[in-house]
Amino acid sequence: MTDPHWLSITEIGAAYAAKKLSPVELTTHLLARIERLQPKLHAFITIDAEGAMAAARTAEAELAAGRTRGKLHGVPVGLKDIIDVAGLRTTAHSRVLIDNVATSDAVVTAKLRGAGAIILGKLATHEFAIGGPSHDLPWPAARNPWNPDHHPGGSSSGSGAGLAGGLFPMALGSDTGGSVRNPASACGIVGLKPTYGLVSRCGVFPLSFTLDHVGPMTRTVADNALLLDTIAGHDPADPGSAATGTRAFGRELGLGVAGLRIGFVRHFHERDMPAHPEVTAALEHTARVLEATGALVETTTLPDLNEFSAVNRVILTAEAWAIHATWLREQPENYGQLARQRLLPGAFIPAGDYVNAQRRRLTMIAQVNEALRKYDVLMCASSMDPASNIHDEPETSRTYPRQARTPFNVTGHPALAMCAGFSSGGLPLSVQFVGRFFDDARVLRVAEALERGTEWHKRRAPVG
Amino acid sequence: MTDDLMVALARAAGLDKALEKFPADVRAAYEQARRTAGAVAAPDNPTAEPWPPMQAGPNL
Repeated sequence: MTDPHWLSITEIGAAYAAKKLSPVELTTHLLARIERLQPKLHAFITIDAEGAMAAARTAEAELAAGRTRGKLHGVPVGLKDIIDVAGLRTTAHSRVLIDNVATSDAVVTAKLRGAGAIILGKLATHEFAIGGPSHDLPWPAARNPWNPDHHPGGSSSGSGAGLAGGLFPMALGSDTGGSVRNPASACGIVGLKPTYGLVSRCGVFPLSFTLDHVGPMTRTVADNALLLDTIAGHDPADPGSAATGTRAFGRELGLGVAGLRIGFVRHFHERDMPAHPEVTAALEHTARVLEATGALVETTTLPDLNEFSAVNRVILTAEAWAIHATWLREQPENYGQLARQRLLPGAFIPAGDYVNAQRRRLTMIAQVNEALRKYDVLMCASSMDPASNIHDEPETSRTYPRQARTPFNVTGHPALAMCAGFSSGGLPLSVQFVGRFFDDARVLRVAEALERGTEWHKRRAPVG
Repeated sequence: MTDDLMVALARAAGLDKALEKFPADVRAAYEQARRTAGAVAAPDNPTAEPWPPMQAGPNL
């Protein structure tokens, strides 16, 4: 059998059914691995070994009694430390919330518990999901398992690091300007920002009400669909929740891409924000793989990437300022420098600029919808560079903002990032697929076709 | 003049403590906001609606 820490959700279920593995055995194994690798990867803020083992024993007893709750029953999971888990701290990786203990589960947490998942603990994040890899916070920044001298992307940094490091088979992150897809890109895993409103934001500390999404992060596309099945659903307590009954996000897996039309937004990485040559090569290779399996790939255009970024930046900073203003006024010293510098600009943005960004957003939505009338899925870059050395502040500052993820926070379309190859330095390269509203299943279908057409997802980080 | 304006705006936003303890960070934030200001053009049509629209109804 494959090493337990590399098993997928589906493989775990099969192993449980065949009695080759049990929830207690798997959880014990992962907790030992987490303890061994935590000093290297810093993926966790809080490890709840006691709670995880209790949940594992419960899952084991239920499975033995034939009371199965579904595909995630007995499967361990990590949650980004802005997502509430009752009884555990939600710190947002910040001194501001260092002693903040959640009194109730986030909606997504409750759904995972109801499905029998085993919560291992809370994962490292950029401070308040905005800061960036920081060295002045109560806990160290997470590291990239492919090379621990490099960052793992963010802000869902611990989620990406833990998945690529074999610490857990599934995780949740959040995505406001790319923060599920960034670590997916840097760590060579699968990260989906679902259609806005598909997954409840209740119990998740906000960064921007307009742009926040909670998203599944896994090592395979099939696992991603299974996790999305569990966490998606209308929540009347979330004002942004979509009233949709869409389910069975894996329903198109295995259908391939024959006959599908894919619009390749080349100008994002060729003109608007020229990518590292190895990223460009990986994107072109992806297009060829999809064409070889029957897709029609054509170049298409959207608004300039930098204009999308400006709209995202105005909305994000204005809304984030509204959320953090009291704390920034009263206790600025409890923020790390990066988060402080990134949250303060909202204090200086004129109200009219915010309204203009919301006006432009409406026309941008229409323009992406128009492109998706012609194409089943759009394809574009995610990160323009491989992950930089975490100690090289100038290079990290230069490359971190170079990405094409923010357009789809602005518009709310489902967008998935996954591995598209490896750099000459052994770091993951990535591609992004974007679909129509609530057509997350189609995005997953195309992603799975790429996964089957390449071997990238079978590589393991040399983390030990 | 620019410094005076920055300080005045920061004080108006209640950032006296941040100004005192982290003046460089406040300046960096101010300059970032200045770069962002006007980055999104106003629409030609002054009556263009923002998104999402205001709503009324029993579900609110």
